[in-house]
Amino acid sequence: MNAWRVVCAKELRETLRDRRTLLMMIVVPVLLYPVLLIVMEQLLLFGMRNLEAEPTPVAVVGEVPPALAALLEGAEGLIVVPIDGDPDSALRSDSVTAVALVGGPTGVDGTRAITLLYDAASDRSNRGRGQLASVLDDWGDTLVARRLSERGLPATFAVPIAVADSSIARPEEVGGYTLGRILPLLLVVITLLGAFYPAIDLAAGEKERGTLETLLTAPVPARDIVIGKFVTVALIGVIAAGLNLGSMILTFQTGALQITEAIGLEVSLPFSAILAIFATLVPLAVLFGAIFLGIAVGSSSFKEAQNALTPVYMVVLIPAMLPIFPGIDFGPLLAVTPVAGVSFFFRDLMTGDAEVGLGLLVVLSTTVYAVAGLAFASRAFGNERVLFGNDGGDAEVGSRSWLEGWRERRGDRGPPEPSTVFGFVALVALLFFYGGIRLQLRFGEAGLLAAEWLLLFVPAVLIVVLTGVDPVRTLSLRRPSPRGLFGSVVLIAGAVPLVWAIGWLQSFVLPVPWELLEGLEDLVTAETTGRLLWLLLLLAVTPAVCEELVFRGVLLGGTRTLGPGRMIVLNGLVFGAFHLSFQTVIRFLPTATLGIVIAWAVWRTGSIWVGMLMHFLNNATIVVLASTPALQGVFSDPEAPPPLWLVPVGVIAFAIGARLLLQNPPPQEGGYTIPSEDP
Amino acid sequence: MRVAGLPVNYECCRPELVSLPVQRFTSSFPPVQLASVPYTRTVGGFTSLIQFTRLTKRYGSVVAVRDLTFEVRPGEVYALLGPNGAGKTTALRCLATLLAPSSGGASVGGVDVAADPIGARRQIAFLSASMGLYERLSARELVVYFGRLHGLEGTRLRERVEELVDMFGIGTFANRLCGRLSTGQRQRVSLARALVHDPPALILDEPTLGLDVLSGQTIYDFIRRERARGKAVLFSTHQMDEVDLLADRVGVLRDGGLVAEGSPAELVARSGEQNLARAFLRLVTGELGDAVAAAP
Repeated sequence: MNAWRVVCAKELRETLRDRRTLLMMIVVPVLLYPVLLIVMEQLLLFGMRNLEAEPTPVAVVGEVPPALAALLEGAEGLIVVPIDGDPDSALRSDSVTAVALVGGPTGVDGTRAITLLYDAASDRSNRGRGQLASVLDDWGDTLVARRLSERGLPATFAVPIAVADSSIARPEEVGGYTLGRILPLLLVVITLLGAFYPAIDLAAGEKERGTLETLLTAPVPARDIVIGKFVTVALIGVIAAGLNLGSMILTFQTGALQITEAIGLEVSLPFSAILAIFATLVPLAVLFGAIFLGIAVGSSSFKEAQNALTPVYMVVLIPAMLPIFPGIDFGPLLAVTPVAGVSFFFRDLMTGDAEVGLGLLVVLSTTVYAVAGLAFASRAFGNERVLFGNDGGDAEVGSRSWLEGWRERRGDRGPPEPSTVFGFVALVALLFFYGGIRLQLRFGEAGLLAAEWLLLFVPAVLIVVLTGVDPVRTLSLRRPSPRGLFGSVVLIAGAVPLVWAIGWLQSFVLPVPWELLEGLEDLVTAETTGRLLWLLLLLAVTPAVCEELVFRGVLLGGTRTLGPGRMIVLNGLVFGAFHLSFQTVIRFLPTATLGIVIAWAVWRTGSIWVGMLMHFLNNATIVVLASTPALQGVFSDPEAPPPLWLVPVGVIAFAIGARLLLQNPPPQEGGYTIPSEDP
Repeated sequence: MRVAGLPVNYECCRPELVSLPVQRFTSSFPPVQLASVPYTRTVGGFTSLIQFTRLTKRYGSVVAVRDLTFEVRPGEVYALLGPNGAGKTTALRCLATLLAPSSGGASVGGVDVAADPIGARRQIAFLSASMGLYERLSARELVVYFGRLHGLEGTRLRERVEELVDMFGIGTFANRLCGRLSTGQRQRVSLARALVHDPPALILDEPTLGLDVLSGQTIYDFIRRERARGKAVLFSTHQMDEVDLLADRVGVLRDGGLVAEGSPAELVARSGEQNLARAFLRLVTGELGDAVAAAP
């Protein structure tokens, strides 16, 4: 049996013996909805009975004509009480719920001005106002009817148009709409709670009880321990979420409780929606499990871990609550926002208008975050300062300041740490998103050029200079071998048509912004040679240098400790995410694929120049193709598939390129081993 | 073994005043054929099982262990002696691969702890007073768990676990959750846990800390038994009686560095004191300077 499975089996067994976890994992998720509904039902019934049993006291100040008096007398649940003095204070003292201040008849027709005095902040007063207003409306109707008949006009004379509401929503849609705002939050919170206690118990609890040291003497890599623990936490989160979902469906969908019928909350989720919700909950549970575990392991006690995790909990709640607020449309940007995407996707699934593309984006981005979370947790477990940082036996441990650590790393001159480069890429992305778009809007093509060089190239150079890391190892500034260089060119020649095919295939699923594509086509099409050269500089050379320096330079260099596989995939995904904008979800998959291919080539050859060349070739191909009159016909119909013969040619070229690169061993930098192996 | 008239709180007894009879241990366990070839290596003419080579552990500017070099041979009990904060625990944790040395290194059974930490862990049983047990696992489940982590499976695992249950008298509480065990019972479970893979080297960090006389005795018996089976035993302590009772050789640590090494009798003789406790006191307060350490 694999070590992580041994760890996982033991953790599950121990966790299932813990009452607190069982409560959070089974009892709360299962009983939440029935109990919530029963409580709501009882409160509502209680309130209704109260309101119905007790007549609402109202008052009328001023002249009360006999017709009005008769209507007030006859109104059900309404009692007119006399008030002394100020109507305001009568309202405030709750002796009446609403007061009608009736003025005398004025003008030719004798129209009366009536003011309804009430307290908008009181349910009882609102109800009184409503009842009083309806009596006054009735009185008004009788007056109109009398005037019409006096003039010999039909009753319909005063009704030029008759408006009647008719909602096309079926009861279950109304239910879905109402519940769709609240249930996503509950599902997310239960998943979170399910993972919360096990994560603390499995990480900080293990440290507090002194068992972590025991465990780490076993001949098992830290990675297996993390995976075992993490699978346990994620599994418990998934189980809690699954039970919660099941309970929710049983409660609302079977109509077992009267109230769902009474207030029109019939929910009928199709099986596919339930499946989609569950499929999304799995990466969410994984994400929560990884983050909680990674943070909890840095704490030395249960209490400390709770303190450390509570802010995370709060931060997660805010995006999860977004669907409650009206007027927020679910789009690609929200879909890739952690937790918020999940919450919105659930809302749309429940109201029955979910989009497959956005759903895929949610699952995909959540998976990416989960993988990043796992890398973080794995690192935390491999870090001896985190593991023994608060141990009383070595009081000096952990007293090392952040600055000392920084200086030491600076002296070491190795590549930067993953946390540093992730922070850097996030910062650069924000800068580019806000500053770069502004520059482009203001200065057009020159703005794009400036944005690339100022907001990507300069920061990348700055971080290497300022942190004093080794520029050669960090940025892979090496000359490639001829075989590596040739292999990379063949590889990208194969990748371009394949990525084109991927882009075409996904247009069946994702929304395609046609107008934007046409605009882009205009941008990349050159009429003159001078224009072509400018476009090549702007759209091929510049991104190749600037973007490669950030992604295949700093990001790749700083994530080597994650191991080649994770490093390369993560690189592509971050590269893809960087190219996302409000309208261009469609760019994610092709760009991420391209990013992965280039990252792999750069890793194999140890040379960023290879990455720059590949990036240039990819972008230049598009510019040249679009500017070649003979070929423009191929692109005239953006919905058309790429020429079919290109696909097998692409596959063959890709395979040859990959083979050439595989024969080219990556340079040994001593940074490829996972440090968590030797805590 | 019963020690008449000894106070129950073992730590209170003054070793200078109480001279304990050193009993010759006769093993009732058959000596285990040690697979000596794969995990022993020859250093300076001696076959050592545990080898520290200029091991240094730094935390920023603080040096916890300084240039530590010594070895422990098969069938030898080596006591690492030193006051609190001398670096005993850090040194043992480096050997147990829980901490990475800043420079220099250590090996167990020929396996370098930095190059192959997983392999090194297979060579050692590590036990320290600060190590806990999983409270919601039974004693037997706990030993089985660690057996599995060491790659034991099926019949082999079952047999080994039952062997350990018998060896440490765990039978009566084997199915009780560890959270409900007494300190002495926990210690026996910890021993069984550490030995589940029957490794050639034992590392014990203050193994009798907080134990009463009887439980302490279990540890002493265990150490002697393992020595008789040819194991290398390295333990840390600041109790002289333990050293007198068990150790073949002693290393004295001060401020992270080894200031003296030799058999208990040698150390006493070199210091000119009457017993080990006084010799130790002089060594760790630095009164003797390097005179003792420099002696051959």
